[in-house]
Amino acid sequence: MPSATPPPKNRRQFVRTKVTLVERVASVVCLVLLAAIGGYVLWKGKHFDPALYSVRTESLQTTTNEVKGEDGTVRGADARPESRVATAPKPEAVVAASAAEAAQTPDASAPAEGSAPSGPPIKGDPLEVNLPGTTPMSDTEFYGPNNLFEKIDGRAPAYLTFNFQQLRCRSFSVTGAAGSYVDVYEYRFDTPINAFGMFAIERDTNGKKIDFAPDGYSGELGYYFRQGVVYVQIIASDQNAKTMALAQALARDRAKNLKADDSGLDGRRQLPSTGLDPATVQFVQENAQGQDFLKNVFQAVYDYKGKKLPFFIMVTKPEDAAAAFKSFQEFCGKFGGTAKSLPDVNGAKIFSAENFGTYKVVFQRNGQIGGVFDADDIDKGRQFVEEYLRGELQ
Amino acid sequence: MKTNSNDGDQTRPGGISRREFLIRAGATTALIAGASAAAYKLWQPKHFVPGFGVQTGLQLPSYATAVSKVLPSLAIAHGSDHEKVIRAVIGALGGMGRFIQHGDVVVLKPNVAFDRPPALAATTHPETLAAVAKLVLEAGASKVYVADNPINSPTGCFLKSGLRQVAIDLNLDLMYPEASSFSPLQMDGEILKHWTFFHEPFKKATKVIGVAPCKDHNLCHASMTMKNWYGLLGGRRNQFHQHIHSIVSDFALMMKPTLVVLDGMNVLMKNGPTGGRLSDVKPMGTVVAGTDMVAVDSYGYTHLMERDLDELTYIQKAHDRGLGNKNWKDSLYKEVQA
Repeated sequence: MPSATPPPKNRRQFVRTKVTLVERVASVVCLVLLAAIGGYVLWKGKHFDPALYSVRTESLQTTTNEVKGEDGTVRGADARPESRVATAPKPEAVVAASAAEAAQTPDASAPAEGSAPSGPPIKGDPLEVNLPGTTPMSDTEFYGPNNLFEKIDGRAPAYLTFNFQQLRCRSFSVTGAAGSYVDVYEYRFDTPINAFGMFAIERDTNGKKIDFAPDGYSGELGYYFRQGVVYVQIIASDQNAKTMALAQALARDRAKNLKADDSGLDGRRQLPSTGLDPATVQFVQENAQGQDFLKNVFQAVYDYKGKKLPFFIMVTKPEDAAAAFKSFQEFCGKFGGTAKSLPDVNGAKIFSAENFGTYKVVFQRNGQIGGVFDADDIDKGRQFVEEYLRGELQ
Repeated sequence: MKTNSNDGDQTRPGGISRREFLIRAGATTALIAGASAAAYKLWQPKHFVPGFGVQTGLQLPSYATAVSKVLPSLAIAHGSDHEKVIRAVIGALGGMGRFIQHGDVVVLKPNVAFDRPPALAATTHPETLAAVAKLVLEAGASKVYVADNPINSPTGCFLKSGLRQVAIDLNLDLMYPEASSFSPLQMDGEILKHWTFFHEPFKKATKVIGVAPCKDHNLCHASMTMKNWYGLLGGRRNQFHQHIHSIVSDFALMMKPTLVVLDGMNVLMKNGPTGGRLSDVKPMGTVVAGTDMVAVDSYGYTHLMERDLDELTYIQKAHDRGLGNKNWKDSLYKEVQA
């Protein structure tokens, strides 16, 4: 019998059947790796990181810390101590009680059921204030974008929209005014412009202007201002004169100690001050007036010859301003609106438009685009813009 | 051709024997079968996130009292003094004796989510809680627990909101959340199937009363009596924000309270749920109470927050799911002046 027979016709020749040792080893390694990965996935699935799904127990752990400050806030009352029911410790023994409490109820600092130990705490410089009449009620608290909700819950997304970086806060009791305290919140953002944006959204339009911070006001229960990249809220527990005086002192202290920085706020500086209602100044990060090309816009309402005129300003590159001006004019001419070019004023292009019964007078000069919008009087709007462009409005 | 003398397998040069073929084919088949079986075993028809899957936990009993055909299920009282208004609104419902009997163990659930002073209206006002607690004690309750699992530090929240002082003054049992206070709760809601729950206060409870402020909420428009139960859950509740309306409506399924009280004496109209300025707060001088939290919240949203009910999705969902009636005027109600 011949040692090698040619394969029959119409039959595919078998190419190779020998598997080298290297190939066998490689395949075994692959199989082992696959099995290991599968096993790891299976194990990980059954031992998921509970920290992803459970409460950070920092709030529970701060329980004992907060008790420290009750000296200055509790009116000297007592409550019945029971093992399962957390009640007030005696004020005169608060520090000792807090330690004892921690020892007696170890669960207080342990993770809640189904929860994991807290992650590493967010670090920062403690909020130290050396003012007579204040006693810190607790340690400084820090929150970042990932856990801001633990402090302000559903309010957090609004802050995150403006690139919130960190919240540093601390409470101070008012010496000699039992039960009174002042909370200091410092919301740090990435830029002054974003800090201003959040500040502007929450601004109390009836607040009184303060003299120690350019963007700030006082309300009936506190002080609110932007200093550099920080939006500061000083909130008093009550309207007692002593409490409010301390709140003001704290506000002044923070304004003095936080770095001033107005970079990026050029647009705001270009808002004229004549007739300006300071409480209406707003920063709109995106989509101002529903236009995607209007970004980082400052706007405010002006009282001009008996009319309320909303006015906006955006500062950008000249080519971007020109493109935005063109797009805006085109848009205003659509959907039943009318837009017409007006004679240039002091090197600025201008158009006016009517949309749905309201008027716009928009200009562009170099990297500046702005104008009056939502006005009910086009003549006043045009006069205002032209006076602005001629530098007649301060 | 090479002949295998043992089993008769024949192998062409360069080929494989029948035995080896059978072994390889068998191994391949076994591997495929094993992989298929493992995949089937591990396969989950739905995306699984702990808390949103199926699990068996405890179920809360209903704390509701029998429905009355004579007495109102919703009452509204107006006035300027917290206690007088609370007494008036409960009186309009037939008095606290309708809900609380002698010896009852009552859980009062305020909203103490934040360590804010009472004036900012971000938490249940201490005078409101005090007034409700007094009525409960007068009705003969043997024990009254006050419980919440705040967003912030529990002691700080109860202290700064003034509610701890109420507990001390009225000898109520203020129960802070501890690690061992939580148990898995079976909810079987639209989104939440089960979740870790602040169970400790409810172990002996026979009646439950929710006492909530009426306030703006950045994510779900308003936080009132239904949203108030959010404070009984543990875990990372910020996950709820993704499905906030469905989850809030799930609370109407989770909790069948004896009574809910909506404090609209001072309403946080904007910048909620935390507020921060007195200018955010509007005095409305009204308290609403009732047995149907959907109806109570509907009144609160339209008459206290002065907004359009159609935009409040969780109320619509709860109504559509038969968990309450958003048309509060359809219920037997009474409006009084304190």
